[in-house]
Amino acid sequence: MDEDLINCALEYAQTKKIEYAEVKGQSQTADRIVLRNGNLEAYVTAVDSGFCVRIMANGGIGFASTNKWSKSEAKQLVDLAFKLAKAANRKEKLSFAKKKAVKTKWTVDQKRKIENIPSEDRVEALTEVDKTLASCNVKIPATISQCSIDLITKYFVNSEGSRIRSFVPKIGAYFFITVAEQGKTEQAYEQFGYSGGWEAFNEWKIAEKMVHNAKVLKDVITRAKRLAPGTTDLICGSEVAGIAAHESCGHPMEADRILGREMSQAGRSFIYKGGPYWTGTRIGSNVVTVVDDPTIEHSYGYYLYDDEGVKARRRLLYKDGVINEFLHNRESAAKLGTRSNGSSRSINYDREAIVRMANTFVLPGKLSEEELIEDVKHGVYMKSFTEWNIDDKRFNQRYVGREAYLIERGELKQPVARPVIETTTEKFWTAVDAVSKEVKFDAATCGKGDPSQGVPVYTGGPCLRLRGVFVK
Amino acid sequence: MTEMLSKTEEIVKKAKSLGADEVIAKTTLGKYRQVRFSNNQVDITVAWNDYVTDVILAWKKRLVATQMHNFTNVDTSLRQLLRLAKVSEESPTFGGFAKGSFPYAKSKADKKLEDLENPTDYVFEAIEAAKKEIGSGIDSGGILFTKFENVYLASSEGPTGIDARSAIELSIRAFSEREASGHGVACSSTLRDFKPSDAGTKAGEIAKLARSPKIGEEGAYDVIFDPLIFGSIVSIWAGMISAYSIMTQMSVFVDKLGKKVAPEIVILKDNPAVYSMSNRVFDDEGVPTRENVFIDQGILKTYLHNTSTAKIFKTKTTGNAGLIAPGSWSVEMDAGGVSKETLFKEMKRGLYLTNTWYTRFQNYAKGDFSTIPRDGIFLVEKGEIKQSLKDLRISDNALTMLGNIAGISKERQQVHWWGEADPPSLSPYVLMKNVHMTKSK
Repeated sequence: MDEDLINCALEYAQTKKIEYAEVKGQSQTADRIVLRNGNLEAYVTAVDSGFCVRIMANGGIGFASTNKWSKSEAKQLVDLAFKLAKAANRKEKLSFAKKKAVKTKWTVDQKRKIENIPSEDRVEALTEVDKTLASCNVKIPATISQCSIDLITKYFVNSEGSRIRSFVPKIGAYFFITVAEQGKTEQAYEQFGYSGGWEAFNEWKIAEKMVHNAKVLKDVITRAKRLAPGTTDLICGSEVAGIAAHESCGHPMEADRILGREMSQAGRSFIYKGGPYWTGTRIGSNVVTVVDDPTIEHSYGYYLYDDEGVKARRRLLYKDGVINEFLHNRESAAKLGTRSNGSSRSINYDREAIVRMANTFVLPGKLSEEELIEDVKHGVYMKSFTEWNIDDKRFNQRYVGREAYLIERGELKQPVARPVIETTTEKFWTAVDAVSKEVKFDAATCGKGDPSQGVPVYTGGPCLRLRGVFVK
Repeated sequence: MTEMLSKTEEIVKKAKSLGADEVIAKTTLGKYRQVRFSNNQVDITVAWNDYVTDVILAWKKRLVATQMHNFTNVDTSLRQLLRLAKVSEESPTFGGFAKGSFPYAKSKADKKLEDLENPTDYVFEAIEAAKKEIGSGIDSGGILFTKFENVYLASSEGPTGIDARSAIELSIRAFSEREASGHGVACSSTLRDFKPSDAGTKAGEIAKLARSPKIGEEGAYDVIFDPLIFGSIVSIWAGMISAYSIMTQMSVFVDKLGKKVAPEIVILKDNPAVYSMSNRVFDDEGVPTRENVFIDQGILKTYLHNTSTAKIFKTKTTGNAGLIAPGSWSVEMDAGGVSKETLFKEMKRGLYLTNTWYTRFQNYAKGDFSTIPRDGIFLVEKGEIKQSLKDLRISDNALTMLGNIAGISKERQQVHWWGEADPPSLSPYVLMKNVHMTKSK
């Protein structure tokens, strides 16, 4: 990466009548292996390298990016970003919350460097999963799998004096299966992700998990019974707890959404100034504390400094069941009179950094998973989910169980076919009366932004016990 | 123009000389602009200048691809790609790239969109139009997006071509109250046919009608879908009509060729025509694009193919090759015989839905899914809007819904927004019977 060119672009921007300027260079080596039914379908590899200029002038913001690394291009880019910023012609001028300049470098270690793992080894590792699935005594007519590698180098400079270099290697995998039994089909997928090296691949135990999923889907077709709709207790496995934390806590707590900046795409939030919910309002029971934490080492959503150069830290979103702290970038923080908590992320040099989650989960409680179940007379254990969604104010959500069981007198009984919880954010979190002590994370890709920016995150968490909720 | 094509051809020749069996290179010089706005003001204006050459090559049926961002390291990149091919495994489904040389239609891309540096005024035009409907209490947000791409394609198997592709889109969501909103879009391939105020007016009209919504009731309803939300529903079927979706069991159309999947009034096509935001004269193999009727009078006629999937299905490519898999470019539903007014007039009791988001499936092969209507949701009785509703969800089946189409309007609109109504489509107002709605409990 040509750091001199980035510095030159910043220097040139500073000759103009600006309130703020930043230049970010990013080089991303991406490698994708795609298999269908255990056969290599495609191998895609590329290096994308470019830089962007973001300028605030006259209270407006202009952003321009290019993948042409030349001084003349850099100069044109600065001129364009400056012109676009001024053209915004805003009545309410924008500003950024204050922060100190940072000069640092941060990286993520790899025990086994992924760039040194031959591609044929990676293909073989995925093929092995298909071979294991082929001998698991379940009819699987179709599989799709993918292994991804991203080596991300960034250099960030701004007009306040920050100079931040970083290197993050990320590895991901995805496995999708279709199970067919008795003329019916069921489908499931798992995503895996890690910031670090190839050492993660074996730890994921993909084959074991997918064989388990295949057997679960077979059971759903051959043994599971539909649930009689009604009010019951519900144990949410870590996967379900994780998606609920992400969708109905993490997203509505994004300050840009609260302020309306995402209103026409990802939507707004049930939390808004002057509305029934704001910081200090109870939204769940006192056993519910949901955090977002980018600093979990080797997590899929890991970073130490965000894409505005703000140091990352754990954010307590819902604390003891009460709305506590929003996710902020510098723009939203300035609007709400606070400081950024380091939640600004972009997926590449050609995307503006916006407010994002990193790793969102419920903090663990004191009971074991077994103890949660033991205290349920009649209920459902929804261990994992398939279809899910939530409305754009993040209040009405639906999770459909993939692996689920009936609970009778504290014991797991027969599988349940596709149980559904469709409820509000407040009802969901208020119904939680206990949280298990073991935390399990799941990798996911969170979508937001226009153009869409899928960022790597962890969901997951402990198991939750909900009392008296409607399940159908 | 021809210099870029020559450089692209050089990549193909170089790859062949290094040992590749078949090679395609496609260079795209893209100029994109976007204005994002919220709270009636511009938040950020973004400009991307992007250069990329997509290269896909086959060596003994091993398929590998890369992206190059300049012409300086072509040799190194190609050698690396071939090395990867040689350690890869054979792709059992690769049937070669398209062969021959083809005449292409002349691109009619709008050069004015290439020169449009600051399109902010269009945003204010749309906001003002919405404001006329709602009044000064309006809160609106959205995007204006412009695209101009010069595309150069060269293939070792014969096809060589130059294309230019242009598009402009304005998407506006306007709020008249905190929970009363409407969404309008204006989509075009040319500046001449771009009407941002129409999008603003539509968003404003819906937002005005949507005031004071009540929580809706669960049940099965007759539903009139606005072109915008129908664009989202159509995009489900468009994704499932790709031969790759069939091969991966990601479709309700598996084993349905030649069978009735919809009523006779339904004619669905893929057509990246001149007017479409996805206009193009050739696909990623250099095959001329064309109109493909995939559902004709309710009968499933074809899947969408590239050369490889066509061989597997013993047919010919439909000109829908993407770099790896075939896909839909732009969908059209044929206009029906009744007016929008007649559709509404004949509805005794049902819903009018205007937009949706967050569509997720339990099972793509079976088709069970849900999606969450947003913006205006209306109860219609005896042809008139009686009540604005909120907090309802469509929980239904993709194949069943296709079969339940009961009326199609004469009026159609090109719609596209975000990832929710994508690819773009030419969508009418559509009446569907027995659509299942659920809500939170």
